[in-house]
Amino acid sequence: MSDAAIALPHSPPAEGPPPGSPIPGGRIPGSKAMWVGIFCEVTEFALMFAVYFIARAHYPDVFHAGPEQLSLLAGTGYTLMLLTSGWCVARAVHSMRANRQSACLRWLIGAFVFGTGYPVIKLFEVRWNLAHGLNGEAGMFIVTYYYLTFNHLIHVFWGLLGMIWVMLRTATGTYSAEEYSGLESFAVYWHTTDIIWLMIFPLFYVLR
Amino acid sequence: MSEVRKLDLAWFGLVLLSVGGAMLGGGQDHGFGVTVAVALVMGLKVRIVCGYYLELPTATRRIRRAMYTFCYGMPIVVILTSAFGDILARVTGALL
Repeated sequence: MSDAAIALPHSPPAEGPPPGSPIPGGRIPGSKAMWVGIFCEVTEFALMFAVYFIARAHYPDVFHAGPEQLSLLAGTGYTLMLLTSGWCVARAVHSMRANRQSACLRWLIGAFVFGTGYPVIKLFEVRWNLAHGLNGEAGMFIVTYYYLTFNHLIHVFWGLLGMIWVMLRTATGTYSAEEYSGLESFAVYWHTTDIIWLMIFPLFYVLR
Repeated sequence: MSEVRKLDLAWFGLVLLSVGGAMLGGGQDHGFGVTVAVALVMGLKVRIVCGYYLELPTATRRIRRAMYTFCYGMPIVVILTSAFGDILARVTGALL
């Protein structure tokens, strides 16, 4: 770990290049602890993706026909909900940087509403799947699909709980333009969960 | 262009890519070319999220390297396993 990184464990420095521009040495967005958790999450999903690719290699015909069984509309709906929620979170962080706490809270509420759309769609999709006989005995593709997407759903639930926490902290004025590492830690977790979905979506709903 | 405006455009681009990507593969029996296109769309979307939402360009080198390896590795693996799936099946079949 570089000295610059150790010296900047929390929020961005008050002075220096704006967010989004390269910084020599860089900083740790959020907190180190959150990044440890994120790398654990990424490792977990990397292993599950390895299982997916090996299963796909062994059962190419099953995986070729698999996406036709699922609802592409539901898959696209998840994607749009998560992307919009992630956008709201990014806007919330920018609002806090501008010291606009009330705007930050409004963006977080928006993020929560769109984020909650994910489990709501999941509920309808699972009911639709089961009505069409897509249960745990419906073959390798469906088993892999349930295994990966339910794991992702658990991570979304963690994120939604974290979102409630940062909304409460924002509402009580805990964060400021100078110190918002908790909010930023949540944001990087939520965006990583978003990235993982952007990988899951084409694997199960699009690729044949 | 302001940072906020960039975030808005990034969201709009992600929505377009998501809908376009879904239309690209959905409902059609496609070959290797479409698989490559879907993988590229995946990589582009992930790059936008990493750059504008996750703000990886400002992160430390270790974080950047680890995340970019994961994010750009996935589309490459999609293409490779599509092209060499039979070899992967033989190798893993011998190991398992």
